[in-house]
Amino acid sequence: MATRFDQQKTKHQLFHVSLSLATTLICMAYMQYRRNWAHLGSFGDSLIVPIVFTGELLKVVLARFYGRIEDGVLTTKQRQKKAAYFTPRELLGGLTLQFLCTLLYAFICIILGAPVLANYEQTFVLSLLLTLLTVSPTVFLLGGGGALQVCFCEKPEFVTKCEDTALDLFKYNALGGILGAWAGSAVAPLDWGRDWQLYPIPNVIGALLGSALGNIYACTHVLYATARVYISKKSA
Amino acid sequence: MNITYIFVLIWLAYLISSGVLLFSRGFLLSRVSKTEVSSCRRLSNNPNDEYFLTTEVVHEIFKDVNASSNLCLPQKSKVIVIVVDALKYEFGIYKENHSEPLPFENKLGVLHELHQRTPDNARLMRFKADPPTTTLQRLKGLTTGSLPTFIDIGSNFASPEINEDNVIDQIVKSDLPVVFLGDSTWTDLYPRRFKRAYSYPSFDIFDLDSVDNQIMKHLPKELASDDWQVLIAHFLGVDHCGHKHGPMHAEMSRKLSEMNEIISFVVSQMDNETTLLVMGDHGMTATGDHGGDTDDETNALLFAYSKQHSFFGSDVGSDSKMLQQIDLVPTLSTILGVPIPYSNLGLINFNIVPNVPVPHLSKFQTLLLHSWQNAQQIYHYFYNYAMENKRTFNVEEMDKMETEFILLTHRVKSIYNEAAFKSFVGDLNAHLRNILNICREIWVKFDATQMSQGLLFTFLPIFFAFLLINNSRPSEFVEIFTPKEISYTYLLNFAAGVFGYRYYKNFSFKTEEHGIIFFTSLLSAVILVFFTLKHWSNIANNWANVRRFGHMPTRLLLFTTMGVFFSNSFIIQESKTLSYLLAAVILLLVYEVLKQSVRMDFRSRFKISHFIRSTAFRLILASVLAICFIRFAYTLFRCREEQGNCADFSSSSSAGFSIKKPASGKTYIMAVVIIVLYTTMTRLYLRSCGNLTGNSPNVLLARYGPTVASICAGGHILLANSAIKNIQRTHIDAMALVIYGLLLLQIIVVSVAPLMTFVLPPKNPNSIAVNGRDSIVPEIFKKMKRMYEGDDAERRYAIPVVYGLATVYSSIIITFGIFLAMTLIVLLEPRATVGLIVCMSVGAILLIVHGILRYRTATNFETCVQPTFTAVVGWFLLAHFCFFATSHQTTLSQIDWRAAFVGRTTGIGQSNFISGILVILNTFCGPIFFFCMFTLLSTETFSLFALFPNLIRSNSNRDSTPSTARNKVDATTALADISTAAVGFDMTRGELTLYEYEDVFLGATFKLASQLFMLQGLRIFCAMLACTIHCRHLMVWKIFAPRFIYEGLATFVSLPAIIVGYGLLLRINLAVDSLIKSINKVKTN
Repeated sequence: MATRFDQQKTKHQLFHVSLSLATTLICMAYMQYRRNWAHLGSFGDSLIVPIVFTGELLKVVLARFYGRIEDGVLTTKQRQKKAAYFTPRELLGGLTLQFLCTLLYAFICIILGAPVLANYEQTFVLSLLLTLLTVSPTVFLLGGGGALQVCFCEKPEFVTKCEDTALDLFKYNALGGILGAWAGSAVAPLDWGRDWQLYPIPNVIGALLGSALGNIYACTHVLYATARVYISKKSA
Repeated sequence: MNITYIFVLIWLAYLISSGVLLFSRGFLLSRVSKTEVSSCRRLSNNPNDEYFLTTEVVHEIFKDVNASSNLCLPQKSKVIVIVVDALKYEFGIYKENHSEPLPFENKLGVLHELHQRTPDNARLMRFKADPPTTTLQRLKGLTTGSLPTFIDIGSNFASPEINEDNVIDQIVKSDLPVVFLGDSTWTDLYPRRFKRAYSYPSFDIFDLDSVDNQIMKHLPKELASDDWQVLIAHFLGVDHCGHKHGPMHAEMSRKLSEMNEIISFVVSQMDNETTLLVMGDHGMTATGDHGGDTDDETNALLFAYSKQHSFFGSDVGSDSKMLQQIDLVPTLSTILGVPIPYSNLGLINFNIVPNVPVPHLSKFQTLLLHSWQNAQQIYHYFYNYAMENKRTFNVEEMDKMETEFILLTHRVKSIYNEAAFKSFVGDLNAHLRNILNICREIWVKFDATQMSQGLLFTFLPIFFAFLLINNSRPSEFVEIFTPKEISYTYLLNFAAGVFGYRYYKNFSFKTEEHGIIFFTSLLSAVILVFFTLKHWSNIANNWANVRRFGHMPTRLLLFTTMGVFFSNSFIIQESKTLSYLLAAVILLLVYEVLKQSVRMDFRSRFKISHFIRSTAFRLILASVLAICFIRFAYTLFRCREEQGNCADFSSSSSAGFSIKKPASGKTYIMAVVIIVLYTTMTRLYLRSCGNLTGNSPNVLLARYGPTVASICAGGHILLANSAIKNIQRTHIDAMALVIYGLLLLQIIVVSVAPLMTFVLPPKNPNSIAVNGRDSIVPEIFKKMKRMYEGDDAERRYAIPVVYGLATVYSSIIITFGIFLAMTLIVLLEPRATVGLIVCMSVGAILLIVHGILRYRTATNFETCVQPTFTAVVGWFLLAHFCFFATSHQTTLSQIDWRAAFVGRTTGIGQSNFISGILVILNTFCGPIFFFCMFTLLSTETFSLFALFPNLIRSNSNRDSTPSTARNKVDATTALADISTAAVGFDMTRGELTLYEYEDVFLGATFKLASQLFMLQGLRIFCAMLACTIHCRHLMVWKIFAPRFIYEGLATFVSLPAIIVGYGLLLRINLAVDSLIKSINKVKTN
């Protein structure tokens, strides 16, 4: 690890992490500004989804930015992939995939105990958020087919080095988001009688915090690696 | 010998449960019942008596009221006590101009009428009960005047007879004859006390009328005779009606109208010198049940009426709106002129004492004497109790109380007019109520020694057994637990037990049990440490191989499950918490499988069509189905009062509709359909395994038994709940009895000849008839060939064909499970039946998913036969989830007593023991069923792959080497080789492999059993710890203690269930052993 330390990658990772932390912080600041958290679950009235959406989009842009540098050394497959990025087929595939994912998350929310139809708007917001945190970045980066392949197959050949770095980070992001949303339910049964204990507020906040924590976890990896390289260089 | 394992399990079970028992002794026992009896000098109006009441005597008494203790004033009147079980306060209130009264409203018109006509001679009061509001506890409270303890463990276990001083004994001792009619609980509590007793069992709660009719038959005759002074009649109909139909049913209005008639009849028949008391012993919830401490349950009704003498007014300091139930005892003693029982803590309520003038005494003097006698009695009892049980009371508080009382004793001497009396009696009552409150607080005092020792002795065996068993390999258990060492362990434990029994006093233990438990547990812990140290090198070796942070998510889930006990909000919502965690476990299992497989299935390109056909997708579907089932079970949960908007507890005064479980016809039909589906599915499964071929006894039973049982279960559900009136109860009972009988038959058959295989007689060797449907038979054929013949082609005719050998273990376990399930189903209510079967299907899916996961992750037989930790936790959670899915809650008022009467209403075996077992079977059906079936976790992996040999191929590409990839092209015969390459043995042989590696298999299941022991032990330990930590919590009696009681009972039930499951496995193994040997013998001949 220490021997193949890559400056470019570290920069990318650190920027990525700061971006996602910034997203979470902006969300928190927004929540603090609005005071009343009850609206968090409504679709039209909450800015959380747009903020997260922008955040994820920025991360993809970041990955693209660092990817530019590698442009010269791409294989043919990677070139083909890149060329096909903006075709309608890929775009449509990506959108369908995200839509299906949202439905799937909504279904999972319901079978894990959310009210079946009563709070459909809240369930929708939560599943949208989860989709944004988990599937969307990958889809934005690689398109629908590519995302599926990354998820279910061995590492496809068309993934560039930089994209690989981003995918690794997205993985932690997604894992943290899902686990956070899952763990958020823990406060629901408590008898504190706070208004923020209502579904889906703890799950939304849990998902945000979870993805932030996932990113920090990824970040500690980087920092640790950096520190080790630094120390080994110094001693050598 | 493998039987040693059973003894080890029994030993561990004993250790864990004795720890729990010790803890519960310290936690739940609260009051020491005293056997002293009060007595008094009886002042009499008769000049011939010893203490004839004259002016001089009165003068003497009032010279020093303090010295005049133990006086009884003359009897004021005869008393008729009519106890109407579960007569709620609301039942007696009359609402005028009420156009559409509810079924229970305005039915007791006579009370209202009498109260209107003669307000001074009639009293209608709230009669406040102390929880627990069950009839037996209430009768104890109503006659001894003491506070009930949480679970009243008296000093004698054997008979329910009360040995504390009580008002019935005092009445009898004062030569006042008592006649009793009604509920036999009274005659159990007070045998041989009554002059005449017409007692009838309160056994059948569906029978609304027979006890009441019997009372009515004898009541007129008894009212007419004049040889009694006290008459007690206890009517059960209203309570039974509440249990059966709830208060909102038309039957309730009929029963209440009947009561109305009875009361008016008694009023018309009673003479002028009689006081009538009509009372309920407790109330009922909106669903007609009772036992808890809600207002609905504790507010009963009291009505008092006296024809001639008016009652003392409420101007003498007594509460005119409400009467505490413990106040009844001193009041009754006052009316009858008998001493107040020794351990009474109640106050006399003069509102219902008839104002019969005592000669030579003014009114206030009479009242003063009564009050002061009462005060002295309470003071006496309280201080004696405090002296004998030092450290139970706060010293400063005691000093304060004593000073107050001494002040009162000085004041009482100087009361010469009514005004002074009134002020005095107010202070006195406040003081006595203060004592009552102190006692109330103190008598939930815990025995810290027993509690801490209970915690310790539960923890020690769990910890060391975990060290020893969890870190040893299955094949090592044979050496660890040799028969000799285990027999020494038993002998030593026995010796320790005898020592504890003999010398418990020397170690200042209070009871023999405590001594026995202390010494055996201590010794056993030492023995476990000895075992651990002896095998430490092995343990350390195995420990070193364990991954450091393996199973982290599962551990986290387990940790959360245990953490639930420490928070009251989580206990309230435990049903949902558990299902959430169970869903997480299933998702985790599937995730683990997918992590292993998906990337292998799609090496280069993801194809939807390929994905949909893959095993992985089916597994995802199956687990989603399982989670959907769990989600569906939400609709079956029962809510508890603490959860908001719980319909079961909505107060009846608001216009809430809370009729007894509306359980519409749809539920019944659904239950029946699901039962039929369940039977059909299991039958299909067994048949496809080839286990329903032939005619061995167990096969015959499994072929026809479940069908009969499901018909009976369905019939029972439909008929027992139908609205048709004229079905004979015997017919309904017969169906339940048939199911009980089938379970018994199954147990007998399993213990005699358990095998469900069919050895095809080798008569026509050239044409072995193989049923085309049984796809595995050729496999078995080959398997047997390879195993016992080699490839000896010329002797092929001698190859025995055995049906059902691939599932030889699991088929019997499953058949046993079917009969067990049928018994549970008939005991459960229809809604809960659905829940049980839903849980079973979740269990089946869990087994399938786990089977595939296990095969993929296993490297050899030893790992393959041990289930993954996640699956064990999943199974464990499922067992406890089933408790909630079958409409149970961990509150004391929601025990389903109905189960005690299934199949027994016609009076077969009316013993409380059987009733208890039936209720326990009903309540803990989940733990019982799933812990009996736990060995399936080990065996089902094998039968799954024998049934679907193709799974071996689809799961074989684990190491994705080209060689295995090439195997895909091979013919079916290569399946065995694939599996051999993968896990080191031939998977197609199914459960026969288990027999070949007998030692490892039995060791692994033993390990599994003890793992479940440890999980259950950890759970009860957490429940106990939570009770200890929260023992002064506001909610301790409402939430934590019931939770602990339920968990304790679940432990007592599930540990034996695990042992039964393991015993079943050993029995099957023995049978398989003899089968294989006999086949071999036939072959060699």
